[in-house]
Amino acid sequence: MLLPEFELHEPVSIEDALKLKKKHGKDARLMAGGTDVLVLLKKKVIFTDTIISLLQIKELSQIKESGNEVVIGACATMAQLSKSSVIKEKFGALKSSCDNLGSHLIRNRATIGGNCCNASPAGDTMPSLMIYDAKVMIESTDGKREVSIKNFFKGPGVTDLAIHEILTGFKLPIPPKNSGAHYIQLGKRRSSEINVVNVGSFLEYDPDTKTIINSRIALGSVAATPIRAQKAEELIKGKPAKEDTFYTAGETARKEDCKPIDDFRGSAAYRQAMIGVLTKRTLQASFEQAQ
Amino acid sequence: MKEFNTIRTRANRLDSPDKATGEAIYVDDISKPGMLFGALLQSPHAHAKVLSIDTTEAKKLPGVKAVLTSKDVGTIPYGVSPARYDETVFVTDKVRYVGDEIAAVAATSLDIALKAVELIRVEYEILPAVFTVEDAIKEDAPQIHEKYKGNLTAEVHQEFGDVEKGLKESDIIKTTTVKNKRQDGAFLEMQGCIAEFDRRGNLTLTSGTQTPHYVQRTVAMVLGMDIGKVRVKKPYLGAGFGIKAAANPMELACCFLAKETNKPVKMNYTREQVFMFCRARHQFTHTITTGAKKDGTLVALKHECTLDGGAYSSFGIATVYYAGSLLAGPYKLPNMSYEGFRVYNNKPACGAQRGHGAVIARAAFEQQLDMIAEELGIDPMELRIKNMMSRGDTTCNDLNMSSFGMSECIDAVREGSDWDRKKGNMPIGKGIGMACGFFVSGAGFPIYRSDTYHGTVMIKLTEDGGTALVYTASAEIGQGSDTAFAMIAAEALGVPLSAIRLASGDTDMGVDLGAYSSRQTLMTGHATKDAAEHVKSQVLAVLAEKLDTPVEDMDIKNGFIEFKNQTLDFSELRTTYIKEHRGWIDNPDSEKLTFNEASRIAYLEKGTIVGTGKYKPVFLGGKYKGAAVGTSPAYGCSAQVAEVTVDMGTGQVIIDNVTDAHDCGKAINMTSVEGQMEGSVSMGMGEAMHEEVIFDDKGNVLNNDLAEYKLVTAMDMPKVKSIVVESDEPNGPFGAKEVGEGAIMPTIPAILNAVYDAAGVRIYELPLTPERVYTAIQEYKERKGAA
Ligand SMILES: Cc1cc2nc3c(=O)[nH]c(=O)nc-3n(C[C@H](O)[C@H](O)[C@H](O)COP(=O)(O)OP(=O)(O)OC[C@H]3O[C@@H](n4cnc5c(N)ncnc54)[C@H](O)[C@@H]3O)c2cc1C
Repeated sequence: MLLPEFELHEPVSIEDALKLKKKHGKDARLMAGGTDVLVLLKKKVIFTDTIISLLQIKELSQIKESGNEVVIGACATMAQLSKSSVIKEKFGALKSSCDNLGSHLIRNRATIGGNCCNASPAGDTMPSLMIYDAKVMIESTDGKREVSIKNFFKGPGVTDLAIHEILTGFKLPIPPKNSGAHYIQLGKRRSSEINVVNVGSFLEYDPDTKTIINSRIALGSVAATPIRAQKAEELIKGKPAKEDTFYTAGETARKEDCKPIDDFRGSAAYRQAMIGVLTKRTLQASFEQAQ
Repeated sequence: MKEFNTIRTRANRLDSPDKATGEAIYVDDISKPGMLFGALLQSPHAHAKVLSIDTTEAKKLPGVKAVLTSKDVGTIPYGVSPARYDETVFVTDKVRYVGDEIAAVAATSLDIALKAVELIRVEYEILPAVFTVEDAIKEDAPQIHEKYKGNLTAEVHQEFGDVEKGLKESDIIKTTTVKNKRQDGAFLEMQGCIAEFDRRGNLTLTSGTQTPHYVQRTVAMVLGMDIGKVRVKKPYLGAGFGIKAAANPMELACCFLAKETNKPVKMNYTREQVFMFCRARHQFTHTITTGAKKDGTLVALKHECTLDGGAYSSFGIATVYYAGSLLAGPYKLPNMSYEGFRVYNNKPACGAQRGHGAVIARAAFEQQLDMIAEELGIDPMELRIKNMMSRGDTTCNDLNMSSFGMSECIDAVREGSDWDRKKGNMPIGKGIGMACGFFVSGAGFPIYRSDTYHGTVMIKLTEDGGTALVYTASAEIGQGSDTAFAMIAAEALGVPLSAIRLASGDTDMGVDLGAYSSRQTLMTGHATKDAAEHVKSQVLAVLAEKLDTPVEDMDIKNGFIEFKNQTLDFSELRTTYIKEHRGWIDNPDSEKLTFNEASRIAYLEKGTIVGTGKYKPVFLGGKYKGAAVGTSPAYGCSAQVAEVTVDMGTGQVIIDNVTDAHDCGKAINMTSVEGQMEGSVSMGMGEAMHEEVIFDDKGNVLNNDLAEYKLVTAMDMPKVKSIVVESDEPNGPFGAKEVGEGAIMPTIPAILNAVYDAAGVRIYELPLTPERVYTAIQEYKERKGAA
């Protein structure tokens, strides 16, 4: 199996990239690290003879802290995010997503934008972006727009992006005091794994009343897209931050928030059971961090 | 004890510099002037009649030089064992699995060849297909081979002693059924080859194979050529694990394409094709009943096994025999019966893989031993020691343990793992388990029945003196055999390792059955030692004559001649040597006569000094049907302890530590022995924990890449404490025997037993995915809750 031939464009500005995308429309594919695109092309799952690489656009790979938020460029790689001090200090769950994606070689190329645009239900960075309530930054020749990450994924491989649009980055609000977040991926081995299930949780609590002010729980690999466990989130709002509550959240997430399917990586029943276990564990860990 | 100078050291491997610098040449690095590229058309259907093949469009494509089908190359049957030649290079009437070869193309580029393959039109009539043993043995199941009714490749019925009686006399009886999943060899280097004819009609096939000799014979037979006109060469190889131990259809197609085009032709499997071709470990289902006395003495073993074989026999007949015969040890077991069935179906053929045939049987049996030990209240180590064979013992099926350091292995892992302190004292979720195993040190017979030597070696001394050139047709496949043979040659000849140059992997160098069944160190090692001694005796004979001293009074050691009479005057010989090197500034002035001088003098007297060596096993016993599979000149044995952590909530298992002891006889190269031990643990772990080839319901491999077929990564590998136990094998060169396969035997059962210790669950199906372990834990909790 050989990689088919294609024409490669390497624009150096977002403007040029947008113009190219507009010109070629659906015949052209955007490429960041290429760790999905090139594999799919080689396996003849997708076809194209024009590729627009985004890697020469410097600003797309920046990670910037500004005021109350951090802006992560679409082309920031896993390796870069893992090493970034602001990600390490303030977005531990995202760091853990990035640390665990693929292998060293892959992490040096794989980008966060690529991970989201590839929109695999098992993608590693997506639950973390969801629990930090990220905003997706989108541009086209017609202008800019933003959409909440919650509404970005539409199905396996399908996102909110229109043909002529490019994802330029993510805005993540700096998490408040007394909050914590945790991400767990479950696979068969310890590295280079494609998740059987993956869960991220964020939790903010009131140190006086010891109750949960706010939580976000994101589940991967159990639906057509990564999803928020809304029933579980609602249920524990205002409840005491303790093991029982986390267990109930897990049970609710398992029973009411997800509808996994069987595939060769794991059965629906196991996935569902693990949603319970991992939701509880991620909430517990988030709480410990928050204290 | 005998003193050694070269063997039993940690000498650097001969291939390290090439491999460390990236200069090692593998098949795919080789390019020839005018070389064409070949590609195969393989069946997209698991079972279908081939109604017609139209190659017209493919042949028209510019750059295409040949398109071949069975019409062009004939239908000479071949396979692994002559008793089951059930393959042809290209299919004739029907395809039997997704991947069956239909046609091959040679073109000026791989792109063109692949394009041409797409242009070949094949009309199929789809036939019903079967993918499991259960479906394949049904009365009305579609038949895969005309000749082998009931989809049976082979069946085995054996009984030694009286099993029924033994079971009746037992105080405790355990029956369990254990199954594994089909493996993939997953070697780094995919199969590849280059075939080339010279103008005189001689064929050279350069191929990534473990067995140049078998490939040579098969190629000659299928192409209808004299064996002498076929040369098979193996460059550096990125492993094989058994899968590359026979000719593959690509090699044969490549030779035909080279013949047709009169150009060198290169072909490679892609990773997907490696999965399609398979020939790796079978899926086994073992049902084993073991009977023991109250005191733990093993009395009888009743064993039934089916093998999910795939579309062709490959090594399957040997596999089905090994699966039974290798349970007769390492414990004393007077009564054993075995019923084995190897079944065809419409999946790729399985064959031989590290620990051929015996790995899952061992896993099932060693798990049962632990169940018996627990019920009798005996420590698992003690139970094993109690029943262990020792040196000189013979199993009920005639396997003789001419050396056997098994109790030493058990002692070593007991101490090395701190077993006595840990066993029974670990918290829930943590566990420790052990198991033993043993394996042949070379198959007693070639895969084709013959009186051939299993290995011949030739050593030539350079005419100028001082260097020995060792020629062996054996196969260095990454395991370090070249280094081992150079070390054996150096030791036997009495020269430093640096005085040896070695070439291998070329059928022009002699006969060697190749790298499989853990045979080379013992067998090729013997032939190497034999050749070195032959050379040495010729050199010493000349010295004896020249110095008028009996041969018995001299020896060669470390590159010097040792005379019993230390004042013996050899100055005349030295003068002769120095005269030969007039003007050279580094002439010898040592107190002792050097090997350089001696070998030059020998040449001056006799011409080129060439020594030959050979080896084949003596008759190894066993008169019953199937005795040829299992009997071996020697058996390596091992014990392992695994420590695990089981996440009781998710079922994830982490292997924390492995302590591994193996008796390899005398270790030729210590580091290589440890390398084989660690490699075995990693492969055994993969099979235990996550490796399995998964198919869809049409016979396509779903996980045909190394992202979805899950090998053990560096992150998963625990610390392995490898302890080399050295017995002295009377049938081995310098006392050496195998380590390459025996070392994998205990890994899976040690893990299974450790998981039981940690989580209280016995698991009878591999791999131990989190899901399988989780489900077992849930069922266990429910049972306990109900009770
Ligand atoms: C061996 C291996 C292991 C892997 N392991 C994991 C893993 O553990 N976890 C995991 O989640 N993934 C894994 N992946 C998948 C992949 O590496 C990730 O999804 C990665 O983040 C993709 O990023 P990329 O930059 O390589 O994307 P690309 O392949 O370049 O692009 C992916 C998709 O996104 C589109 N795209 C990229 N950037 C943009 C943009 N800025 N705007 C609009 N569209 C864009 C592309 O057109 C394409 O459709 C693995 C892949 C391989 C090959």
